Amino acid sequence: MTELTQNRTHAQAPAGAKARAKARREGGSPHPWYFIVPAFAVLGVFFVLPTLFNFVYPFTTWSAFTPVIKYAGLENFRSVVADGTLFSALKITLTYAAVVAVLQNLFGLLLALLLERDTFLNRVARVFFFFPVLISALAAGYIFQALLKPNGAFNQVLGFVLGHDVSTAWLGSTTWTIVVVSLVHAWKWMGLSMLVYLAGLKSVPGDVVEAARIDGASRWQVFRHVKFPLLAPAVTFNAATALLGTMNGFDIVQATTAGGPARSTEVLNIFIFRTFGSGLYAQATTMSLVLFLVVVILAVPVVTYLRHREKVLG
Amino acid sequence: MKKKWVYLAAVAAASMALAACSDPSASTGATAGPSGSSATQWAASTADLKSVELSIWTAQSTAKVPTDVIAAFEKATGAKVTNVTVPDAYESNVQTRLATGDKPDLMFWQTTESMLKVIQAQTALQPLDGAPWADKIDPSAQKLGVMAGVHYAAPIKAANVMGVYYNKADFAKAGITETPKGWDGLMAAAQKLKAVGVASPFYEAAADKWPTQWGAQILLADVTAGGFYDRLNANKDTFANPDVVKQLTAYQSIFTGGLGNANVRTATFADQADALMSGDAGMEFQIGALVGQIAASHKLAEIDKTIGFFPISPSGNVGTTISDQSNTVVAFKTGDTTKEAASRQFLRFWLQDYYPTFIAAQGYVSIQPAVASPDGIPQATRDASPTAVAKTVPSMQDAAIVNPDLYLNLTDMLYGTKTPEQVAEATQSQFVQIAKAQGAAGF
Repeated sequence: MTELTQNRTHAQAPAGAKARAKARREGGSPHPWYFIVPAFAVLGVFFVLPTLFNFVYPFTTWSAFTPVIKYAGLENFRSVVADGTLFSALKITLTYAAVVAVLQNLFGLLLALLLERDTFLNRVARVFFFFPVLISALAAGYIFQALLKPNGAFNQVLGFVLGHDVSTAWLGSTTWTIVVVSLVHAWKWMGLSMLVYLAGLKSVPGDVVEAARIDGASRWQVFRHVKFPLLAPAVTFNAATALLGTMNGFDIVQATTAGGPARSTEVLNIFIFRTFGSGLYAQATTMSLVLFLVVVILAVPVVTYLRHREKVLG
Repeated sequence: MKKKWVYLAAVAAASMALAACSDPSASTGATAGPSGSSATQWAASTADLKSVELSIWTAQSTAKVPTDVIAAFEKATGAKVTNVTVPDAYESNVQTRLATGDKPDLMFWQTTESMLKVIQAQTALQPLDGAPWADKIDPSAQKLGVMAGVHYAAPIKAANVMGVYYNKADFAKAGITETPKGWDGLMAAAQKLKAVGVASPFYEAAADKWPTQWGAQILLADVTAGGFYDRLNANKDTFANPDVVKQLTAYQSIFTGGLGNANVRTATFADQADALMSGDAGMEFQIGALVGQIAASHKLAEIDKTIGFFPISPSGNVGTTISDQSNTVVAFKTGDTTKEAASRQFLRFWLQDYYPTFIAAQGYVSIQPAVASPDGIPQATRDASPTAVAKTVPSMQDAAIVNPDLYLNLTDMLYGTKTPEQVAEATQSQFVQIAKAQGAAGF
């Protein structure tokens, strides 16, 4: 270790390289374990600790109304379930996550296939399609809220194209607004899916594709039987992160509809936000714990299936 | 070696979990309640306060309100007052900050009993009983911010009176010359407006949600006068009371009966303002914020010429008052007696020395009988001040111990996803849930 830290002449340099080579041979890390402590500290304070508290507070009477926190058993769970709002919020969240997962991956895949070749135009297009990923989700939500107003820019363009006045309330339907909001979310994140699919496409061996082409396969057949199966790892990553990550969605829905109209887009996080705003901290934490458990329960079969599929196809 | 770290991590996690079972916002060594402050000192408003630093929390809508007062106070006393704007949703974000132990010296707050409970006023706020301004304030404003007989608020602006804002030209066209009285009078006026071709006799903004509660609350004025909220607060009555449901059904009937605006589901507060000024809307249930919205793009003379105000209730013209965070300022117990005294001194400066300049700059109606209201205030605003309305009853926010999301349930009703009975049921269940968390007697 000291060899690495003290000033050394050129003649002594090989000693440090030897130590690293030795560590690599022995299968250990060439870096001391305490290099990772700062990162773990941040992770611990901002992630592990709150998650641990998430298992403690639901069993208390923590609220804005009293500084005293008492043990409350399963009372919070009972009241949260009895209301019925929790289940409707869960249903909406699952719908939202499922639609986003499908649309985001569809758009990402289509973009990746479209922009697969490394031409200049494709490279520029890839950058532009990635921009939405970088902007703030709230900002994106507010922009779309303005665009999708009955007298907003989107309807005006539509009206111009169709030749008559269009004043559809895209964010005012209790049935379809959830799809509209999912589309906005998918639009925001499709650049990331596109990136992962591009990497996946690059890893498809060129000779396999060439062999298929020589055998007379059409473009579609090449995609369906060669590229798509070999994209399985990318699909696993994208589908899992899109589905499970969107279960935690908040910003875009809050900025576009704030859970409306008539609570038809009230995803669980918005319900938690409202409950927290009423001062019912323990109930809000209970719902947060329920969300955590639902995501875990969802993750296991989803990831297991996708990984199994990877092995079968890869 | 590995096991040692596992044990250490487990112990650390367990101890952190136990440490979690304490509230960081609980003030250790909080000063005594009202009895301990009977000797509250009220320093002269311009006494020297060099090197004292105070902070005041404001909402986005009140961010600029104290700017001039602060500048004048800093000049007069040498203190430094920092104006911190807490982003919307104001009430939610303030609670988050307070829960982490962060505390200002002063804060704009809606000082209804339900909202005072949310910030644990009895332990967290300075009682302002016996303030030097107390007997100089109009009785209607003196009632603001009182809980269990103790004053916690400094009133800087008159509370709102909910009522009907109407378009004068539409009324003239429909031949309505007298102020409508009661529900029947209101419906008769609406029919007349419809008959002469006014597009929307009533205009509601369900897209923004919050405006939907004024109409329903106005219709509850009679029930309120009959002591409904006193019974509700003691768990001796519920929102499912047939009288309450009857009024909610009446409110819904405006829209199912074709007297409301066709675009109610997507209309916004800004649309309401435009519709009233243009005459598309004949009448709107609203609060003073509507005139504020209109004033952003219309001149005083035009406003006075175009719109008017009258209070209404099911059986007459009783107004329903509602206060919000722009009406009152509270002072926190911070444990630092110098700062606490300085906060009180700031409030005294604001409400006594600086008050005439303040209301003139802000265009507020005066709530101190000895100070005249400035010029340039729309007549509708003057008419909608509690000082001008003969009889008022408090709104749900002012009278109930809990503030349930009635407006969300009413919006659901306007969207057709809830019946009036379901609105009452949902509001009641939320009321009970929060009352239980408050530890209110009877729940």
